[in-house]
Amino acid sequence: MTTRWRLIVLVPVLLVLGTAATEIILTLPSFGHPLTRYGMTVNTLAPALRNVSNAVTSVMYDFRGIDTLGEESMLICAVTAAVMLLRGRRGEDGNEQAGRVSGRAWAERSDAMVLMCRLFATMLFLFGVYVVLHGTVTPGGGFQGGVIAASSFTLLYLGGGYMVWRRMLHSPVLVALEGVGGLAYVLCAAVPLAFGYSALQNVLPLGNWKDLYSGGLMVIINIAVGIAVIGSFAALLLEFMEETRVPKGPVAEEDT
Amino acid sequence: MSWLIGAALVMSALSGWLVVISRDPKRQVFALCANSLVLALLFFILQAPDVAFSEIAVDTVVVPLLFLIALAAIAINEGRR
Repeated sequence: MTTRWRLIVLVPVLLVLGTAATEIILTLPSFGHPLTRYGMTVNTLAPALRNVSNAVTSVMYDFRGIDTLGEESMLICAVTAAVMLLRGRRGEDGNEQAGRVSGRAWAERSDAMVLMCRLFATMLFLFGVYVVLHGTVTPGGGFQGGVIAASSFTLLYLGGGYMVWRRMLHSPVLVALEGVGGLAYVLCAAVPLAFGYSALQNVLPLGNWKDLYSGGLMVIINIAVGIAVIGSFAALLLEFMEETRVPKGPVAEEDT
Repeated sequence: MSWLIGAALVMSALSGWLVVISRDPKRQVFALCANSLVLALLFFILQAPDVAFSEIAVDTVVVPLLFLIALAAIAINEGRR
């Protein structure tokens, strides 16, 4: 398709989509007008009914908790599929060493850098755990905190290199974390059902507003999601990183 | 605070344009990082800190890292051939 034809096609498309877009934009509420009806309802209901100060968490893990359960299983399925695909060719053999792009210079890491990376990895992991635990009080929650905690492992790789990373992260542990987190969420939905309530009904004591323990069942779901997300993201990073490795043997020795 | 929102929007448009015009995949990954940081800032200014958290963690750390690993794997395999 030449440029001219593209421009000719562009004109009717712009006419149709442009008029539709203007129509929609004109009916939008004015900019900086945050109070939609749903938002106002949630803002009143979340502190009154659930003693929770972070309304987003109350929507995600309580009012629409079943939706989040679906998203959680989607995440776990996606990570499992990626791990299966990547492992399919390579297998679970750990007998590998760091691969290198041939002809690129390689410098030894300084002690200062190793130390800084370990310090910051620890602090980042703790911050992730903090975000998970305070999900019902301050912005954040299970998913956000879990991803932050999992991204601290990349600093371990940066500081220690491949062998340290392999010694510290074990794939079975990460996959088990993922499964345990997912199972805990399912149990949170199923146990109230077994006692005659509806699924995910908030049967635990609600705690106090702005307290670390506030929101009852939401606290447990938060932690479950956090554990599952740490496990799945770390497993994903580990499996992707394994793609750059070469098996120990004659092939690798020719490279270096 | 509306000038802050305007500035963030302009910056996000500029950084998105940088992602599109960079042709080297490695540069593109880092441009993507910068774009996500600006987007996270925009979410924060629009008072959505929850979304900003996930944007920073997922789009500036995990996704670019996966891209970089894929590029490294390609480079290593090409060197071996």
